[in-house]
Amino acid sequence: MTRYAGGLPGVAVAREYKYMCSDPGQELIRQDIRDHGLDRIVVAACSPHLHEHTFRQAVALGGLNPYYFHMVNLREHDAWVHTDKAAATEKAMDLVRAAVRRVKWHVPLEPRQVSIQADVLVVGGGIAGIDAALTLANAGKHVYLVEREPTIGGHMAQFDKTFPTLDCAACILTPKMTAVKAHRNITLWTMAEVRQVEGYVGNFSVTVCRKPRYVLEDLCVGCLECIQACVYKQAKVPDAFNLGLGKRKPVYIPFPQAVPQVVVIDPETCIEFKSGKCKKTCVEVCAERHAIDFHQKEEIRTIQVGAIVLATGFEVFDAARIPYYGYGLYPNVYTALEVERLVNASGPTGGEILLRDGRKPATVGIVHCVGSRDEHTNRYCSRVCCMYSLKLAHLIKEKTGAEVYSFYIDVRAPGKAFEEFYNRVAEEGVIFIRGKVADIYPAGNGDGRVILQAEDTLLGMVRKIPVDMVVLSTGLEPRADAAAVRRLFNIGCSSEGFFLERHPKLAPVNTFADGIFMAGCCQGPKDIPDTVAQSGAAAAQALALIDAGVVELEPNTAHVVEDACSGCKTCIPLCPYSAISFVEEKRAYINEILCKGCGTCVAACPSGSIRQNLFEDEEIFDEIEGLLVPA
Amino acid sequence: MSACSVTLETLPQHPEGKEILTCLQCGVCAGACPYGDVMEYPPRRMIAMMRAGMQEKVFTSDSLLSCVACYACMAKCPRGIRLTEILLPLMKEQTLAYLPELPAELQRALQNTLRYGNPMGEPSRKRAAWVKTAGVPIRSFAEDRRPADALWFVECYTSYYPRGQDNSRATARLFHRLGVDYAILGNEEKCAGECGRLTWEPGLFETLMDYNMAVFQKYQFNRVVTSCPHAHNAFKNRYPVLGFNWALEHVTPFLAKRLDGLNALLTRKLPYLVTYHDSCCLGRQNEFYEAPRQLLRAIPGVKLVEMVHNRVNSLCCGGGGGGMWLDTYFKAKGYERLSERRVREAVATGADILAVSCPYEISRFEDALKVLGYDKRMMVRDVTELLAEAMEE
Ligand SMILES: Cc1cc2nc3c(=O)[nH]c(=O)nc-3n(C[C@H](O)[C@H](O)[C@H](O)COP(=O)(O)OP(=O)(O)OC[C@H]3O[C@@H](n4cnc5c(N)ncnc54)[C@H](O)[C@@H]3O)c2cc1C
Repeated sequence: MTRYAGGLPGVAVAREYKYMCSDPGQELIRQDIRDHGLDRIVVAACSPHLHEHTFRQAVALGGLNPYYFHMVNLREHDAWVHTDKAAATEKAMDLVRAAVRRVKWHVPLEPRQVSIQADVLVVGGGIAGIDAALTLANAGKHVYLVEREPTIGGHMAQFDKTFPTLDCAACILTPKMTAVKAHRNITLWTMAEVRQVEGYVGNFSVTVCRKPRYVLEDLCVGCLECIQACVYKQAKVPDAFNLGLGKRKPVYIPFPQAVPQVVVIDPETCIEFKSGKCKKTCVEVCAERHAIDFHQKEEIRTIQVGAIVLATGFEVFDAARIPYYGYGLYPNVYTALEVERLVNASGPTGGEILLRDGRKPATVGIVHCVGSRDEHTNRYCSRVCCMYSLKLAHLIKEKTGAEVYSFYIDVRAPGKAFEEFYNRVAEEGVIFIRGKVADIYPAGNGDGRVILQAEDTLLGMVRKIPVDMVVLSTGLEPRADAAAVRRLFNIGCSSEGFFLERHPKLAPVNTFADGIFMAGCCQGPKDIPDTVAQSGAAAAQALALIDAGVVELEPNTAHVVEDACSGCKTCIPLCPYSAISFVEEKRAYINEILCKGCGTCVAACPSGSIRQNLFEDEEIFDEIEGLLVPA
Repeated sequence: MSACSVTLETLPQHPEGKEILTCLQCGVCAGACPYGDVMEYPPRRMIAMMRAGMQEKVFTSDSLLSCVACYACMAKCPRGIRLTEILLPLMKEQTLAYLPELPAELQRALQNTLRYGNPMGEPSRKRAAWVKTAGVPIRSFAEDRRPADALWFVECYTSYYPRGQDNSRATARLFHRLGVDYAILGNEEKCAGECGRLTWEPGLFETLMDYNMAVFQKYQFNRVVTSCPHAHNAFKNRYPVLGFNWALEHVTPFLAKRLDGLNALLTRKLPYLVTYHDSCCLGRQNEFYEAPRQLLRAIPGVKLVEMVHNRVNSLCCGGGGGGMWLDTYFKAKGYERLSERRVREAVATGADILAVSCPYEISRFEDALKVLGYDKRMMVRDVTELLAEAMEE
């Protein structure tokens, strides 16, 4: 390869060096520039994505303009994608030949510098979004926190206690939620969703849609009298926050500690919306506060932000997808999240663990790995279910004294104080059976009991254990709309659908879009400690970006050759970034700051009078010719 | 790589063999297995023992004799290990080879199949005798070799057993009224051999496969339609190595696709409460859960109820994997008869008809109902029989 490259026209020196990106490797480039008076450099090595910047730097230190450089991607374009070594070597030669021909056309360029918007958008108000927003706001940044639901809090707000320390979830979460509302640097928009994202790192323009809650947030004082006064005397509507285990009225507040403390009216069930003939006792009782507004409309707002933190969290696996576990069929089969609500003092049973028929369970079976570690559902381990199963086993035992069986495959307790918690729960007398539950069916005597059938793999025998209550430890899944959100923000997803990090080890909270970071379960299943660690990291990344004040952008923008432009305006509607305007009534003008270098206008211009840095016609044509002409 | 050419020795080199390295030892196979509580080494332990180089011990136990090839373990294995498709039949071959002698009933069935092309030892020249009683014309390729759209592969129980013939007569009437362009092989047909394979005697299986393929090649048709889910299984999974590449359908889904035409024909009201038993090969193996139910629902007057175990969770009748000819053996070992377990669930639904789609089940369930004294309360009918009954002449 080296010999071949050395013989190409125009090449003064060709070298092979194992670790070109290392300091000595870069020094080699600088030395050769000095010794041989080089004026163009080509490196054929790994991905430009990782190292183009490194080598441009080296070229600059050698005294040349950094854009007198071109990099050939021998990794993804060649070595990693071919198995025929000889053919791959030939392809490498072709690529180098093309690069050598291209690089001679390179012209000196300067990176663009653009200033940065200081505000930050956080999407999702679970513990991840709350924590990131508070950190950023405390650092003096203005934060827009956009949450889809009527309240922030996410899943954590539904729990009673949290493993492994058994802290009361509300006790640690509520102060943070109220801090969000009270913070002068945070604008909280609930019942809101991002509709459109434009712009680029440092300068995003984001359109947010706020759905009507039919209650004016500024005027509602959270007295809840309207709920009392509602013409519905009984709560009749299944309540989503309690997963349908409780009921609410058409006017409601999701849970006592909801933030904002503002009621919501559900137009699907409110009589006024259905018939227009309600007595509107809610309006009467709200009196001179006038907080209820049946005519509230959806509101569209556009904000300018420098960075975005995505914290959209997860969804729990739908247990009905495993028909032989009987969820939805047998009333005493619950999901873990439902049981979280049953043990919660503000839940539908006031914190008592009661079955649907009002009985207290005397035997309970917990089934691990429902929708996790399974080819038929999700292949990955959901990471938190073992621990929350231990937590629920403890809470159920504590509250009911029931005999608790926990059916597991492996108990994964790898965090700080996790194994100790496992030990404690075992000591409390929870019975652990190592075996995946194969079947759940009614015990058959009409008392609502079901039989859990599994091999006890440690005993080597099949066991059939009748229980009053089953808890399905369902796994964590990407949100149903994760793919749509991914497209909206132009980031990636990994194969199971969670947002993809830029690097699994070294850039775990970065996405592939500069300036867009992520935290919490939208990136993959994790517990609250890990979620909060990530939100801190994402906030720090956003701060580092914004506090730098400016970003450097590739100088790959397009520009109009003034005299050549005929003023046909073909390019203007084609530009996806609205970067082209028509000036002096005669020609197109491209705003360098807005131009993202996509090249659409360059290709479309009928008179060839738009050119693009780093993609000049000569550069491209000579590169193609270099590729195609025989060696 | 076709499953057919994998042997236990070469297994580790095949992707199918690598699968067992991923076994989690979670035991869901044993928990799902209808004989999981009596099997000495359920699949989980077999895999553990193989990984420890202790396969001899597995083969010298009779664990695999009680595998009824019902796919229950495979359907729930979280690693997707193709137990029923690959590992278990291979292990079963070995187990049978280690047995001092085959259980007599099984031995006889295999010998009969080799000699007469059917396990009951009926003369092959009488295979198509039922045709005369069908009441509709049935073309046989041997007599009229013009091409047909479908070759209807009738299979053994449906050719010889009186209650199996009911199914065939019903199918013939349905095909006739629907105007299906088909022909049968008549006396030229021999058992497709699926159970011959699963119960070892690969030699027997290959003989049948070669024979049937040679007959197929004599005639021209676009698809094979069969009444037997086990034959369907053999054609789908084993025959392709010999070049079987016709479209393949079981009668039940084949009819379900023609529901539009059928609806007009189903005019007689049948006031039955029906529960449907998902056969293992048709259900778990091919996921035809809805087709038979759609057909039943199309019959005026029929109401469907489900058993506790249905669809992917259905309980096996105990006839697969050679179980058809091991009843005496299982009884001697004191095992519960699976067909009895199944009909108890069926009776508990309060239904008066137990509908099936596999010819094995008619005799197994009728027998179980009789043994348990439920034969006055419940009848077993093939879906096709019910459809034909609902057609006015
Ligand atoms: C049953 C169960 C018990 C658990 N118990 C514990 C425990 O005891 N201890 C522990 O450490 N961990 C526990 N976990 C894990 C814990 O739930 C997570 O670590 C934590 O909730 C992750 O927070 P998050 O903010 O990333 O996601 P979420 O809590 O899911 O919050 C995401 C938020 O974003 C909002 N959102 C989503 N999409 C959008 C959008 N497009 N636009 C606007 N807003 C959006 C949602 O409405 C939600 O408010 C448990 C999990 C489960 C399922």
